[in-house]
Amino acid sequence: MKSRLFYKILFSYLAVVILAVAAMGFLIARQMTGKLAEIIEEDLMTHAWTMTPFSKGEIERNVSTLAKIARARVTLIDAEGRVIADSERNAAEMDNHLNRVEIQEARIKGRGKGRRYSHTLGVEMLYVALPVGEGPALKYYIRLSRPIVEVEKSIAQLYPPFYKSILIMAIVSLLAALIFSRKITSPIRKIEAFTQELINSTVPRTLLIESTDELGQVAKNINYLVQQQQEKVKSANEEKVKLEAAFAAMTEGVLILNGRNRAEVINNGLMNILGCRYDDIINKTPMELFRNLELQNALDRFRETGSPVLQEITLRDESPVILEVNISPVQGLSARDKKTMLVFHDVTRLKKLEKVREDFVANVTHEIKTPLTAIIGFIETLEEGAIEDRAATKKFLKTISEHANRLNRLVDGLLTLSSIEMGEVELHLEGIPVAEVLENIIPLMETKVSAKRIILHHEISTGLPLIMADRDKVAQIILNILDNAVKFTKELGEISITASQPQDIKNYVVVKIADTGIGIPKSEIPRLGERFYRVDKTRSRELGGVGLGLSIVKHLIKAHQGRIEIESSPGKGTTVVLYFPIA
Amino acid sequence: MEEKKHTSAHYEKELQEIKESLLYLGAMIEKAIERAMGALLDRDSELARRVIDDDDLIDQLDVETEERCIRVLALRQPAARDLRFIATAIKINGHLERIGDMAVNIAERAIILNEEPQLKPYIDLPRMADITRCMIGESLDALVNENVELANKVRKDDETIDKLNEQISTEIINLMMDDPRKIHVSLLIMQIAKNLERIADHAESIANRVIYMITGKNVRHKSPFETMDK
Repeated sequence: MKSRLFYKILFSYLAVVILAVAAMGFLIARQMTGKLAEIIEEDLMTHAWTMTPFSKGEIERNVSTLAKIARARVTLIDAEGRVIADSERNAAEMDNHLNRVEIQEARIKGRGKGRRYSHTLGVEMLYVALPVGEGPALKYYIRLSRPIVEVEKSIAQLYPPFYKSILIMAIVSLLAALIFSRKITSPIRKIEAFTQELINSTVPRTLLIESTDELGQVAKNINYLVQQQQEKVKSANEEKVKLEAAFAAMTEGVLILNGRNRAEVINNGLMNILGCRYDDIINKTPMELFRNLELQNALDRFRETGSPVLQEITLRDESPVILEVNISPVQGLSARDKKTMLVFHDVTRLKKLEKVREDFVANVTHEIKTPLTAIIGFIETLEEGAIEDRAATKKFLKTISEHANRLNRLVDGLLTLSSIEMGEVELHLEGIPVAEVLENIIPLMETKVSAKRIILHHEISTGLPLIMADRDKVAQIILNILDNAVKFTKELGEISITASQPQDIKNYVVVKIADTGIGIPKSEIPRLGERFYRVDKTRSRELGGVGLGLSIVKHLIKAHQGRIEIESSPGKGTTVVLYFPIA
Repeated sequence: MEEKKHTSAHYEKELQEIKESLLYLGAMIEKAIERAMGALLDRDSELARRVIDDDDLIDQLDVETEERCIRVLALRQPAARDLRFIATAIKINGHLERIGDMAVNIAERAIILNEEPQLKPYIDLPRMADITRCMIGESLDALVNENVELANKVRKDDETIDKLNEQISTEIINLMMDDPRKIHVSLLIMQIAKNLERIADHAESIANRVIYMITGKNVRHKSPFETMDK
């Protein structure tokens, strides 16, 4: 399909050519008609002049001969306007001609001409009249006339060649217009197709136009712009991909609120924190999402002051999640669509560690302070005179020594723990049979067990593989666990020790110590390995523990590349499962 | 209410404000229960007093929310869904306020209990409190997400609470029979359990209202299992 521009150019060319030719033709025809009429008038006038020497009678008699010679109609009219003779009509039938234009003109100016429709002949005629004699001596008028058709005939002879030339000109100019408009429109069409392609596709080619004129320059400019644009888009895309990746990968939750206080942009981090899908979060208000007073109040504060707000909030889930929320305005937006950015940072672990540290300091000072206070108290009592009473002194010294020993045990425990933690304890790893270790330990517990009338079972599978462990440390681990079991089991309870290698566990020997003690609430189990952590603060201290046993066990078993699992239900008992790697 | 545009942006905003203040009230209630139980479990009477003090704020918000609802009813003459929402909001608001009072009851009893030596370690009571608080949270989540399933879960949870309450009662009665000197303390614990059970009932009612708001069907006085499949 040719472009419309092509037709526009083509038709405007044609119109100009046709108009020019037509105007020229019209002008030439008009000019020529006038000129020819003049020539004929002169011709008629000459003939009229040649007739003037003849007398009235001579002309009257020879009117048809004269007409033939002059190739015109000859009319003889007397001074009063009566027609004396006419070459074509009977003079007697003709009316008075005095008022005819040519006669009047001839009477006044000496010669007259006219151009009008002849009622006598019924055609348009050119008239020429001459008076013979002047003023009062005027005798008659000679009038010659020739039909105007003759003029038109001779002009008509000119038309065919004229038309021919017009046609040739039109054809030539049409061809020129075709070629020229084609030359102009084809690059424009190329540009048009190219820009259309740019709109439709994402991967444009280069625009090829071999021309040095303005259109060629336009093509070059377009190519340059396209290339520039592509580079910009490419770098923007790369930037976007990078940002999106970072946005998605960051563990911090990001939430952007729109002007209507609804979630507009969120990242994976937030979905993980809330445990919700995208659709459950988007377009909700913070109140709907978090239902958290601190967050709501912080948002209100932010809206009042307009300055960033940092707030710690606790999300109540199965286990509490502590988040640090940073509320700030989104920069670079107009005041009308004000957006708010919330960044959530999960600080649960940090807070927990902080708490462990705080608890540790508080606990260790408390643990040290208690025996110290007792020791100082008794020493003061002794100083104040009690030393005189031998029996009391002995009793006091015993108590002081007990507390000093407790203090010593505590410091020993702490030292052990810190050296294990720092990896300073050297394990003498060797293949040892678990059965032998257990058989050595169990008698040590006899006194404690029988004091509380606890029944102690043990069941050790035969043919257990050797474990890779430090003999003393394994004994320490198991003793610790057993000690706890005995401590927290009421009189007449039961403790069972089993050592086995279940079929589904290949690389470990499993030692299981189960009691029917008071048990541990499920929520406390994860905190058991913490130093000085006690489920029941008062009771455990009464039972003489320093609160380091399980910590030491946990670290020791970790050093052995083994692991420990604790299952418990309050009121029913606790089962500790130890996994030792086989040699 | 989201995604559905009202002809008046202002009307839309008013409805959202009602929803937000309900949720805010809900958050305050959840916190009150958490603190009241914390006061009991950690023997922290200071926390209990804060619960009692904060109840004034809850009452104030309760009145404000109700006024908002009435104003929308009077000025906008809501129809269909919006009318159900407003009606539900007024009811939920009332339930939440009652729950707030019960949290105060628990806090008051915790203060008295903290004066006495602890009778026994609390095991079922915190569990009950956790489930109850969870029920309130979930019934409000159901309101936000228009989630009928979640509302139905809340209705079922109420039965767990009833069972726990019975269990605690039996246990406490045994304790009282063993040692009549502990009757005073035992009764307080029993009242706390009863309060928690009543809170759970209110949470169930909220869930019922939410189902009504979403579906237009009234499921009150019907077993959750009866209405589940419908």
